[in-house]
Amino acid sequence: MALLESAHEGQPPAGAGTEPGRRTRSGRRASAPRRQDNVTAYLMIAPMVILLGIFVMWPLVYSVYLSTFKISFYKAPQFVGAQFYQYVLESSDFWHSIWIGLYYALLVVPTGIVIALLLASFIKTLSGRVAAFMKVTIYLPAVVSTVIASVLFTFMYQDEGVVNWFLSLVNHAPVAWLNSPRWALPAIAVPGIWLGFGITTLILLAALLDIPESYYESAKLDGAGFFQRLWYITIPLLKNVLLYLVVTGFTLAVQMLDLPLIMTNGGPVGATSTPNYYIFNSFRDLTPYATSYSLTASLLLFAVLGTISIVIFRLIKSDKAVDG
Amino acid sequence: MSVRVFRKTGSAVLVVLIAASVLFPLAWMAIAGFKGRSEVLRTPFQFFPEMWRWNNYSAILRDHQFMRAMAVTFIGALIFTVLSLAVNSMAAYAFARLDFRGKRFWWVYCVMPMFIPMMAILLTSFVVVSKLGMLNTMAVLIIPGVASAAQMFFLRQYYLGYPVAVEEAALIDGASRWQIFLRVFLPQSAAPFVVVGLASYLAYWNAYVWPILTITDPSLTQIMQFLGNFRSDRGNDWGMLMAGSTLASIPTIVLLLVFQRFIVNGVRISGIK
Repeated sequence: MALLESAHEGQPPAGAGTEPGRRTRSGRRASAPRRQDNVTAYLMIAPMVILLGIFVMWPLVYSVYLSTFKISFYKAPQFVGAQFYQYVLESSDFWHSIWIGLYYALLVVPTGIVIALLLASFIKTLSGRVAAFMKVTIYLPAVVSTVIASVLFTFMYQDEGVVNWFLSLVNHAPVAWLNSPRWALPAIAVPGIWLGFGITTLILLAALLDIPESYYESAKLDGAGFFQRLWYITIPLLKNVLLYLVVTGFTLAVQMLDLPLIMTNGGPVGATSTPNYYIFNSFRDLTPYATSYSLTASLLLFAVLGTISIVIFRLIKSDKAVDG
Repeated sequence: MSVRVFRKTGSAVLVVLIAASVLFPLAWMAIAGFKGRSEVLRTPFQFFPEMWRWNNYSAILRDHQFMRAMAVTFIGALIFTVLSLAVNSMAAYAFARLDFRGKRFWWVYCVMPMFIPMMAILLTSFVVVSKLGMLNTMAVLIIPGVASAAQMFFLRQYYLGYPVAVEEAALIDGASRWQIFLRVFLPQSAAPFVVVGLASYLAYWNAYVWPILTITDPSLTQIMQFLGNFRSDRGNDWGMLMAGSTLASIPTIVLLLVFQRFIVNGVRISGIK
């Protein structure tokens, strides 16, 4: 049946798309846009469906399945139910990594959005050619790989590196950025912001350009300054875009892996052990049951992350409702 | 008048300052590649080298491992980009324009991966590809990432906004859906294809974690794998590492400059804003 139909579909113009049954039922004119194209459609989505099935859906199901087993190289897998879940939830290292992830997101997301908003407001005032130059310049770091940014910033943070040279200009003693538990996380947040703010700026700029100029003009007549206009006109009108940026920025930031992996290896003393780094590292760890443990931790992270994004979403939404 | 002049110079100064601070790290990286071993990190600080040396760049260009990684990654990225455009645009067209049984189910199925964090499936994906015997092949780098929910979604949004009239006319003339897709939709897809294709290219070129898990064969080492492991493999030869990083960023920067107009407008096409 399917074969027959697909052969039918493949026929040159005259035959294609006029399945006899449907034509008698509803007539040609009505059927053209509304008819079903089951075979064509399934052939078109098949590669995507199959690839997602093998490389996304199956691994996800498999993760859930494996997390209920104790896996070791020496013994046959043993069903343990939710034991690993309890084990992970009771592990202080897991919660520590979640905390680090949240702290990192707190360092990166608000700063990135504020910088982007200021830049976007500034670019909006520029004339065509200069604005185009700025947009490309600002976007440039976004195409640089996280690995290159990591290597580059590690270099800049060396004891004799350029960052400490800037400090010496203000008579400050050099800081061992990546080796100090206090400064390591802020230090890796800087390349995080640098890599991400370009896209944020472009998105905000597109949104800014949609705000009618007349709003600003009447505000100016009333004597509102730049920051007043930003606070009372721009920000309220951009609420949905900002919400989108906060939630996506947050989920991306909490999942940061490359920067700590290359710059600090999670150190010093776990100060940059983001959740994904922690999971990745415990997977590479050869201690017994590491596989089940890290799988379980990754699923729990998924749940924790989802919950937090929903909370952020709700918080901002309800705030909006209050504002009217 | 004088206020306007003041404003203009003010914003010109600001433009230069912003551009300089955004680009500083990249410029610094490229310049560090020109410095000698003892000069790269030294106090007092000097921005420019005392003498512009080419030896880091020429050494890295003569390095077989590096050149091989660049070439292998470049070829992989091209294949990856073409395949993902094909797979995702086809599905996007079907979801945007065709009516079929179970459409809603498959739509949710195809979009859901956007909400699955990478880490939740990374480890078992590794188990799956190793069971399929794909470790240390080009296929393991290319195939698992080809189908992308986000890109399919983006293309579908674009196709939804495309006028139906043209398509109806073609249908009445007896064109099949495949013909419409290939002859009407694909030729109109240049702008979204540049945006999505560039994202694919970047995702492949910049990948690090997946290659370090799945590739141990030195002849397949990816460029970011090479750079990320440079210090543990070869020690702190900063000048050479910066030269290598500079060269490895050039392809992506060139792509950005060539397609800048599409990318800057990409935000609008996507309808995120």
